[in-house]
Amino acid sequence: MGTLVLSNVDRSFGDVVAVRDVSFTVPPGTTFGLLGPNGAGKTTMMRMILGILLPDRGSVSWDGAPVDLAVRRRFGYLPEERGLYGKLKVREQIAYFGRLHGVMPPADTKRADDWIERLNLTQYADRPCAELSKGNQQKVQIACAALHDPELLVLDEPFSGLDPVNAETLLELLRGLCNNGTTLILSSHQMWQLEDLCKSFCVIAGGTVRASGTLEALRAAWPTRIVEVEPVADPLRSVLDATPGARRLPEADRPTLAYELPADADTAGLLRRLVTAGDVTRFERVDPSLRDIYLRAIGAAA
Amino acid sequence: MNVIAVVFSAEFMRRVRSRAFLAGTIIGAASILLIAILPSLLGGMLSSSGKRVVLVGDPALTVAAGPLLKHDFDIAATLPRLDAAPSPAFLDAHGKASAVAVLSRGRDGLHVVAYARDPSAFRQAFGRDLAPLQVALAIGIPVQRVAGHVKVTVDVRDVSGRFANANAADAAKGVAYLFVMLLYIAILLNAQSIMSSVAEEKTSRIAELLVAMVDPSQLLAAKILAAAATGFVQLGVWVGTGMIGGRAVTGMFASSDASSGAAGAAGSATFGALEVSSGEVLAFLAFFVLGFAQYGVLYAAAASLINRTEDLGSVAGPLVVPVVVGIILANFGLQFPNAPSVVVCSLLPLVSPFVMFTRIAVSTVPAWQIVLSLAINLATAILLAWIAGKIYRVGLLMYGRSPSFRQIVATLRT
Repeated sequence: MGTLVLSNVDRSFGDVVAVRDVSFTVPPGTTFGLLGPNGAGKTTMMRMILGILLPDRGSVSWDGAPVDLAVRRRFGYLPEERGLYGKLKVREQIAYFGRLHGVMPPADTKRADDWIERLNLTQYADRPCAELSKGNQQKVQIACAALHDPELLVLDEPFSGLDPVNAETLLELLRGLCNNGTTLILSSHQMWQLEDLCKSFCVIAGGTVRASGTLEALRAAWPTRIVEVEPVADPLRSVLDATPGARRLPEADRPTLAYELPADADTAGLLRRLVTAGDVTRFERVDPSLRDIYLRAIGAAA
Repeated sequence: MNVIAVVFSAEFMRRVRSRAFLAGTIIGAASILLIAILPSLLGGMLSSSGKRVVLVGDPALTVAAGPLLKHDFDIAATLPRLDAAPSPAFLDAHGKASAVAVLSRGRDGLHVVAYARDPSAFRQAFGRDLAPLQVALAIGIPVQRVAGHVKVTVDVRDVSGRFANANAADAAKGVAYLFVMLLYIAILLNAQSIMSSVAEEKTSRIAELLVAMVDPSQLLAAKILAAAATGFVQLGVWVGTGMIGGRAVTGMFASSDASSGAAGAAGSATFGALEVSSGEVLAFLAFFVLGFAQYGVLYAAAASLINRTEDLGSVAGPLVVPVVVGIILANFGLQFPNAPSVVVCSLLPLVSPFVMFTRIAVSTVPAWQIVLSLAINLATAILLAWIAGKIYRVGLLMYGRSPSFRQIVATLRT
């Protein structure tokens, strides 16, 4: 069990700066979510953690020591672009990646069979990977990355290509790995899955860290207040729109009127005005969601 | 089991199980068998019909010429004269003969007019075989006496004491040529398969997973060793097929007549009576492995730079050049194994596996030159593997465009 530390890491490709002065720490056994828009530098950061790319400046350490080849073999990696040998059978493929990670015969095949069963792939065990659906190939890839009980498992967009049932299966698997002490670093655009799974987060945009910490810490640092009001009615909306400094939040994932108010806003006065304007069935001050935090961080980046 | 062994065994099994390997091995073995058998078969066919001739002329001439021509020809019929220029039907009617030779005596001696199905095939053999008759007519002594004196026995001895006679030296050239061609074929076939394998891993993004846990140089080394081992298996099948086929053919034609015997002997020189010393085999294996390793890493590094498998040809093309140069220089080496320029070429990386092996097979090469050549090739293979490993690491993760020369040089410095 080790602690991952990135210190002032820079990485450029020619004239393009992919990652600039990134620092964060992932304590042992933590589930760490990396968030950011496409091209933010998440994959480059993951590749540097895994030693696939070397930083131009700064350092990556595991348990206080540089990440060398021996350490990397104890890590697991699920890249964003899936890579499997199309002609290799599922069991052989998983066992091969196990051997590359140091799981020698006969344990490689035994563990491969265990994972095949856990991932409901038994009927495909002796079929070439190219014949499997995208979702099932994704499951094979996950087994390849986790067969050796890695100390650190890095997953780049692990839920892409999975239907809701398989996504839930994967969530359960990841929770199980986390409970067994595996440190997880994962990126996803599915905020609810990350919020459900991760303890700490790092929002990255334009190659730099925009926000990082536990959800509680990120919420505590939130500079405004969010109120939710029901029902969604025009008289209530008018009152909220007229409140100085109020900003309406996207309603896509809320069947409510959600507004961001300045930290010093008079919420009691607002409630009185709303009650005067119409029937208020719900008035609640809520914590910002991960999505709110992400959008604010990205907005700040923009 | 270390990671090189894991990658090696997986790559090796993947290769030998592939349809391309099975098809290539079987087709190659069948081709070698055909090459071994073909000369004997053709020899047999030529002996039975291709060298059958009709002799026409004064009986005094045809009787004297008959025994002289028997070395190369069968006499289908002897006629005193021709009524008209012979047609193909005339040849068919006389035992499906290939030619009619009309002998006459003029002021300047013996004159032969041959009417042949293939005019190019007869002139030299006729001229050589009938030379004693020409001399006999000119100086007026029996042709048998002249024939006994025109053949000069030449006993060539090797000053180095390496070969017992000229036949042994010729056989050594055959061995050298055969093994150089095997190295050439092995490089072309297996280096191509290394390229395909690297390109597959790059385009399917497996490479990203592999370099996360395996050092690119080790990965490259394991892939090339696996390809070399596959090549050895293939070569073993081919050489075995050639030797067995050659022996079978030699045995089959051993009791044939003199003319077919010549063709049978050609088969045995190549395969049946192949005599290869254990030193030559060791030298071949050493130069095969080193030559293969050098080309393997170059091909793998080149393949890591492409983004589509369709582009493989464009990067493979320039790499064929040193292979072809090696073969050309090996041919010089066969003729002049100790010429200074050949000696220098036998020490140069990339071409020396071809040239040095040729020199070893046909002459006595000082041990220090062999050791030096092996050391240079080994050092080059290691250096190329290091450079190629770096290029490979950069190339494998470059999608959409190939890395520029500047980027590659910058990577080598890190």
